[in-house]
Amino acid sequence: MLADQAPVTHPFFAVCGNGYWDLKVLKFYYCGFTWDTLLSSALAILLTLVFAFWIASLLKPGVPGKLQMIFELLADYIRRLLGEQTAGEGLDYIFPIAATLGFYILVANWLDFLPLSGIRGLRPANSAFEQTAAMAVVVILIVQAYSFRVLGVRGYFRRFTKPFELPLPARIAYIPINIIEEVTKPITLALRLFGNIFAGVVMVYLITLLLPIFVSPAAIVIWKAFDVFFVGTIQAFIFMLLTIIYFGMAREGLEHEGHEQSRAVRGHPPLPQTEEKA
Amino acid sequence: MNHAIAIAGALIGAGLALGGGAIGAAVGDGLVGNATIQGTARQPEAQGRLQVIMFLIVGLVEAMYFINLALAFYFIVSVAAGVGG
Repeated sequence: MLADQAPVTHPFFAVCGNGYWDLKVLKFYYCGFTWDTLLSSALAILLTLVFAFWIASLLKPGVPGKLQMIFELLADYIRRLLGEQTAGEGLDYIFPIAATLGFYILVANWLDFLPLSGIRGLRPANSAFEQTAAMAVVVILIVQAYSFRVLGVRGYFRRFTKPFELPLPARIAYIPINIIEEVTKPITLALRLFGNIFAGVVMVYLITLLLPIFVSPAAIVIWKAFDVFFVGTIQAFIFMLLTIIYFGMAREGLEHEGHEQSRAVRGHPPLPQTEEKA
Repeated sequence: MNHAIAIAGALIGAGLALGGGAIGAAVGDGLVGNATIQGTARQPEAQGRLQVIMFLIVGLVEAMYFINLALAFYFIVSVAAGVGG
C-alpha cells in the first residue's frame, strides 16, 4: 500500500517491546526509538560540536579572522535581540540556549542537502515530530521556569489574566484563552519546524514518484537547494527568534506592578526603563 | 468498499486543506510584499533591512502552509494504512 514506500513510516527499534498509547491519529511508542532520524540528529550534534569547538579554538583577541567576525556579528545580534526582549535579565543562560538551538537546527537542516537517504535510509533530523517536539518542550519548560523566577508566584498567575487594562470580569473571561495560548506555544513551535522539513521530504518523494528517472535527480537537486538553504535557514532562525520572543513574553506584567522591590531583594539592579515609568 | 470511501474522503480532505492553506499563504505573502514595497518606496535606504524582515515573515507565513502539507500527507497515509489493515 501507499504507506509502505511513503516517508511517513520510520524504521522502529524496540528497546522493551512494541507497547504504544493509541492516540487515534498517531501511536505514541513509549519504549524504543526510530533510528533513522536519531542517527542523523546524532550526526548533526556531532558536527555542531566539532564545528563549535573548532571556531572556539580559532578565537583570538586582536584583529579577528573572517569566520570569527561572522560569528561575533551573529552573537552580537542575538545578544542585542535578547537585550531588547528580556532587558538583559537571565542573559547568561538564555543566550546559550537560543544560540545553541539555532546553530544545531541550522547544521541539522543543512545536513539534509547531502543524500542521506541514499546511504542507510536516513531522514533529516527534524523530519520526525518527536525530535522537534523535544526541543520545543525543553524550551517551553525553561520559559515557564524563567517566568516563575522573574515574576514570582503572584505575577506568574497574574500573567494568565492578560489584557491588564481591562476590568476584572473581562480579565477572568480571558483566562481560558491565555491558557490555550500557553499550551499551543510548544505545539506550534514544534510543528512549524517539523512541517517544513517533512514537507521537503514529501516533495522529494513526490518528485521521484511523478517524474521520469532521467529528470528527477536534477529536479531533486533544485528543490533541495531551495528547501535546505532557504527554508532550512529561515526555519532555524525563526525557531531561535521565537525562543527569544517567548522568553520576552514570559516577562509580561512586570512593569505594571511593584515588582521592583522583589528585584532589589534578589540582588538585581533595577531596570532603567521601568524606573522611569514608576 | 469502506477502504475506498475512507481513502476518497482523506484525499478530498487533503485537497481542501491544501487549497485553503494555499489561499491563506498567498494572501499573507501578498500582504508582506505590499508592505515591503510601500516601505521601500517611502524610505529607499531601508530596503536592505526591510528585505530581511520580509523573508522572515514569508518564512513564518509559509510555515503554516507547510504544516498543512505535511499533516495532510500524514493523514492520507495513516488513513490508507489504518483502514486497509
